[in-house]
Amino acid sequence: MGNKKLWISFAFIILALFPPLFLSQYWLHVMIISLFYVMMASSWNLIAGFTGQVSFAHAAFSGMGAYTSGMLTVYLGLPPWLGILIGTGVAALLGFGLGYLCIRMGGIYLSLTTLGFSEILRIIITNEDQWTRGTMGLQVPGFFVEYSKTSYYYLFLIVTILLLIVIYKIIHSEMGLTFRAVLNDEVAASSSGINTVRVRVLAFAISSAMSGLAGGFYGHYLMLITPDVPSLGQMFLVLAMAVIGGMGSFAGPIVGSFVLEILSEYIRVYGEYHVLLFGLIALAMARFAPEGVVGILRKKWRREWA
Amino acid sequence: MGVIIEGKGLTKSFGGLTAVKKVDFHLNKGEIVGLIGPNGAGKTTLFNLMSGVYHPEEGTLSFNGMEITSLKSFEICRLGIARTFQIVRPFLKMSCLENVLIGIIGRGDPREGIKAKGEEARKLLKFVSLEGHEKNSANNLTLIEKKRLEMARALATQPRLLLLDEVLAGLNPSEILQALELIEVIRTQLKMTIFWIEHVMGAIMKASDRIIVLDQGEKIKEGRPEEVVNDSKVIEAYLGESDA
Amino acid sequence: MSELLMYLTNGIVIGVINAISAIGVSLIVGIMKVVNFAHGELYIFAGYFSYHLSVSLGVPPLLAMPLSIFLIFLIGIGMERTLIRPTYGDEMYSLIITFVLSIVLQNAALLIFGPYPQKPPNWVTGAMNIFGLYHYGNQRILSFFISIGVLLSIFYLIKRTWFGKSIRAISQDREMAALVGVDHLKVNMLAFGLGAALAGAAGVVLSPIFPVTPSGSSSVSLNAFIVVVLGGMGSLKGCVVGGLILGILENLGAAYISTMYRHIFGFIILILVLVFRPWGLFGQKTQ
Repeated sequence: MGNKKLWISFAFIILALFPPLFLSQYWLHVMIISLFYVMMASSWNLIAGFTGQVSFAHAAFSGMGAYTSGMLTVYLGLPPWLGILIGTGVAALLGFGLGYLCIRMGGIYLSLTTLGFSEILRIIITNEDQWTRGTMGLQVPGFFVEYSKTSYYYLFLIVTILLLIVIYKIIHSEMGLTFRAVLNDEVAASSSGINTVRVRVLAFAISSAMSGLAGGFYGHYLMLITPDVPSLGQMFLVLAMAVIGGMGSFAGPIVGSFVLEILSEYIRVYGEYHVLLFGLIALAMARFAPEGVVGILRKKWRREWA
Repeated sequence: MGVIIEGKGLTKSFGGLTAVKKVDFHLNKGEIVGLIGPNGAGKTTLFNLMSGVYHPEEGTLSFNGMEITSLKSFEICRLGIARTFQIVRPFLKMSCLENVLIGIIGRGDPREGIKAKGEEARKLLKFVSLEGHEKNSANNLTLIEKKRLEMARALATQPRLLLLDEVLAGLNPSEILQALELIEVIRTQLKMTIFWIEHVMGAIMKASDRIIVLDQGEKIKEGRPEEVVNDSKVIEAYLGESDA
Repeated sequence: MSELLMYLTNGIVIGVINAISAIGVSLIVGIMKVVNFAHGELYIFAGYFSYHLSVSLGVPPLLAMPLSIFLIFLIGIGMERTLIRPTYGDEMYSLIITFVLSIVLQNAALLIFGPYPQKPPNWVTGAMNIFGLYHYGNQRILSFFISIGVLLSIFYLIKRTWFGKSIRAISQDREMAALVGVDHLKVNMLAFGLGAALAGAAGVVLSPIFPVTPSGSSSVSLNAFIVVVLGGMGSLKGCVVGGLILGILENLGAAYISTMYRHIFGFIILILVLVFRPWGLFGQKTQ
């Protein structure tokens, strides 16, 4: 990591320590949700932006994490952290299994199958209500004996930062290099000795595990898990955050998550139009500025400073 | 001098078109063999079969006595066959150093540290005269530089057999001389066997030990360069091609 | 016994309509390598168009049908021109764009048509006794025969006309097709329109039997995708056989195992295909 980047990151982390001192409970909640989306969009970006594979099961895997941990804590009395750990493992295994099945057939198959998986998960969760409480939602214990948004904010901040560090390390490792090679040119990568299917499956499993982790924490914060967590609507929001923020860059999904989550709080006043609006913006971005907001700003700054 | 690679009865078709038809060939260790033929003769398809991009419908391929017919590209590469592409395919959105690193990582040897790999990649870039371009994006290179970068990436996998697909195309005479020198160094110092496709006749005839000629997917001639240039079937095949 | 026969008949009727919808997806995948995730939304829109044309505007049902399909065809052309064409060769962006489009259209449908299921009026009423075994609704019988008619026209279009020949040329070898003078931009556009129109046709034919709702679109897309994978990417025959298999299994499964899990049978088929025969029943094992 360059020195400049290190200092900027450090400054952001210091700044991120202060919000609980002056934000209302409501906006603190928005911040916590934003941090959840940062985890979701950044880990989705790891496969989509860095290996070029589009998974539509990212929200579904977060749901796997949330429901697994939720049910383990409710029915078996496990502590949340252990539930989350197991939930993450379940998401990783499922991701590996699905990826192993369809990735050898190409990217289109992964997208089709993950979409199917999301739908099926929704149907199962809604119908098996003796376990999942269906659309009523499953009430799960929280992390802290005394509920406090401030505690949750710091918890989410720490987990998000750790996850981002892992993602940053992956991107800048040999594995990250092979991700990008596969994204750039699959035939050339394979002819250079890279097992492209293995790289793709690995990326998918890692990213799925991360969303399972994020979902686990999300569930124990909301303390009520509903089929909205693994829904395609949620999937769309995560995708829109990454696309609008900027796919294939580290900062893009982070920026996108905060901007869209905060924006949707303002739009919500006028009704449920935020999905339609974000959809149209995402379409325009994907069409005209695939490098996203971060890409546009970066270009602009480079032009002004160079 | 043992046989390094041998193909028997290789056949591959696309739709109704047979691109390679019952081709037998072999290369001896340390040889430099040219593969020529008019456009659409199936030369690149043969390379794609040898590097696992395609798999033949019929026939077998063996490398150092081991059957590789149905292996995947990366497996074949790890056994020791590396290639360049007719239309260059460097990783455009990656730096030159990263391009070469992929070849080194592709060897699948976890023992080497990242530092050693970086050093080796730098050396390889220097070997193909691309020093100073380490951090430059592959996209910013000229065509000739891209070809050299691809060559470095292929060499990074430490192949025993190198498949070069029209590395001289688009180069001017002095660049061709440089490239030929490089190929000679690869052969003599790195002790690699070379199989190359080329349209620049003077160069390939001068530098090859042996020539294999394909026409419409079939092998029509094989022999020393001077035998091949005077062969009536070969002349006929080339005369049929208006721009040869 | 007659119960089983009835479920089988239902399966076949649905299966043929499945096939039409799946051919719409398959055509587009075959020549452009683009999966249209907004397929189900086009189906839903067609259902609503045909409902509003006949109920709100008083257009006779048999005219409302082709008119709705034509409108969907135009929407498909518009989609291709504005959003899909720039993504050719970039699989990732085409997947993202059609997915986002599906969400946008779904929300637009909710906004325009409301959340309530709607059903165009039946074209015919009553039921018919089939071989003295059981009674079967005339509407379903008519839907079935119209679907067969649509299927036959598609086969004719693809096997016999210049358009079909161009489509096959492009799906086999894009460069070769360009060399022999096929205008692939035009063919792509028409094929995308046709793919959309087929989603519309399925929607129009099926909506008098199963009312459409904005939230029902994803299962329509999913059914089509499952059929395409089951039959083999790019195979017309595969779409018909796959459509029938899925239709029959879903109906039998819903009747004898669980209605709630109707869609799960399809997903199980998808997974089984991926495990045992990933290139599908009639697909080609590539390379």
